[in-house]
Amino acid sequence: MTAPSARALLAAMSPDSQQDFALAFLSILFEGAPFILLGTLISGFIDIYLPAGTMDRFLPRNRNLAVFAAGLLGAVFPVCECAVVPVIRRLVHKGLPVSCALTYMLAAPIVNPITALSTWKAFQGQNAAMMTGSRLLLGYLIAVAVGLIVSRLPLASVLKPRLLETLAEPPANEGHRHQACRHDHGECGGHGHSHDHGGDGRLVAAFRSAMKDFIDVGVYFSIGVSITALFNTGIAPGARWLDGLAGNPAGAPVALMALAFVLSLCSTSDAFIAATLDKFSWGAKLAFLTFGPMMDVKLVFLYQTVMRKRFILLLALGLFLAIGGITVFWQQLVFQAK
Amino acid sequence: MKPETRRILFSLAVLVWSGVLLYFHASGRITKYLAPDFRPIAFAGGLGLAVLGLFNLLTARQSADCGHDHGDDGSSHDHETSDVHPLAALAVMVLPVALSVAWTKDEYSSAALSRKGLYDSPSNAAPFLASAMPPLTREEIEKSHRRTPDGFYEFSLMELFYATGDRELQSAIEGMKVETEGRWIEEKTRNPDGTRKRLYRLFITCCAADSRAIPIVLEFGKTPPAFPENSWVKVAGTMRFPLEDGVLQPLLVVEKALAAEPPFEESFLRN
Repeated sequence: MTAPSARALLAAMSPDSQQDFALAFLSILFEGAPFILLGTLISGFIDIYLPAGTMDRFLPRNRNLAVFAAGLLGAVFPVCECAVVPVIRRLVHKGLPVSCALTYMLAAPIVNPITALSTWKAFQGQNAAMMTGSRLLLGYLIAVAVGLIVSRLPLASVLKPRLLETLAEPPANEGHRHQACRHDHGECGGHGHSHDHGGDGRLVAAFRSAMKDFIDVGVYFSIGVSITALFNTGIAPGARWLDGLAGNPAGAPVALMALAFVLSLCSTSDAFIAATLDKFSWGAKLAFLTFGPMMDVKLVFLYQTVMRKRFILLLALGLFLAIGGITVFWQQLVFQAK
Repeated sequence: MKPETRRILFSLAVLVWSGVLLYFHASGRITKYLAPDFRPIAFAGGLGLAVLGLFNLLTARQSADCGHDHGDDGSSHDHETSDVHPLAALAVMVLPVALSVAWTKDEYSSAALSRKGLYDSPSNAAPFLASAMPPLTREEIEKSHRRTPDGFYEFSLMELFYATGDRELQSAIEGMKVETEGRWIEEKTRNPDGTRKRLYRLFITCCAADSRAIPIVLEFGKTPPAFPENSWVKVAGTMRFPLEDGVLQPLLVVEKALAAEPPFEESFLRN
């Protein structure tokens, strides 16, 4: 929504519309904000305290098995989709296989305990266990499929040339060990010995990192909740058109994936918005909850720091078709059978 | 922008969210927005945001070492730089919240209620309410409902609404003298003589945004008494389920209607 159209919408809102918007907006915000906080606190502390090299140790040596394992790393290192891109950029630079890094990047925002908890809470009374299980399973399978495909592609077709060049040279001080402190410091390329081992400085840095993540997510969440509240209460132009698509078995997942792309919500809080889309089928909501954390407006920009534009386009198209197709099938097979 | 200024702006945005969450909780207004099991989570979230915001505000000028340097590749491995300009971030996070706090009346207008099923056919909503299914025999129904001194059985609005979609329950309740309470609102459909009103309550699953209206029709047979729109009213009369324009309606032929105090939990809540 552009600034002039937002102003026009504000000016056109009647007192009734304002009251409806406010109730819907605040209720979704109250519901989702604590889960964003939990996610960003964990991500902030991981950012500061967890050496990136730690993740390598969890992966098997076999290429395919490593991809399958990478899809589960989010359960141990829960990171939302905004935070995961800088992390995998760093991991790729440090030599983590690109297929594993991309699998982790796509799966971690969904296959992690915070997202599972928030999805389960948001869908209480609406078949929560089935929705949470379906979301985690589909997110994992899609991410692993992408990882397996990428493992068979030449890196030059996936990674940005600049990042590719850095892979040719071993990073300085990779995984070196200090005799004195007996732990691996492989998390930062070219790092010297300027680190300290804890204390107030790192705690302050961790809180700052958490606040930065909270603001990054909170901005998109605030915009997303505003748009959702406008649609939820029928104020937004096009709300009736969107409702009209709700009953269409193929149109509904397509509409909600497009909405997820535009809203750019965090995976820790998007379930609270999906749960309010009561005119849509579970399959369509599942498409919203799986596609959004893997591909949205903000991620397109973030992905460009790691991947080639052509690959991002193909990835977006592949995710759209695969998730759309599977959720239509899933709706028929599982949800309608309930 | 200086890092200190950015930290202060971010802290303020976090503290505004915290303040709003804690204010709605402390004032008790949170009950209009969230189902009970989300209220302590929202309170904890408000406290957590207060800690995050205050900690960062009080240490905004302090230098902090993250324990590792950031290499030479010019990557985005930065713990503080946000995607969005700090002033824009502050505006986007604070403005909608501030406007919403100023605009909210803790309830929906009739237009939004229409969208949330106020005038929908009751049978469409039956699966949504399946978990609220009451006993099915007349004896069980009479045993499980308190009888008022003037002979009316006390029913929740949800039971009367749900009975429309259940033939067995409908037959058992048809013609019973019942008393119920809810919010008073205009009847816009099938009301040519102006003798009808509608009574509704909201059913909240998690939060007010996912709520659904649970309505029944009130038939007075004459001009209905005047109550303010959306005010709480207790009504008593005989329950009917007539087929009107091909749609079964839960309809209470009202014998008495009195203004009532709102119940502690104004909405029906999941379990």
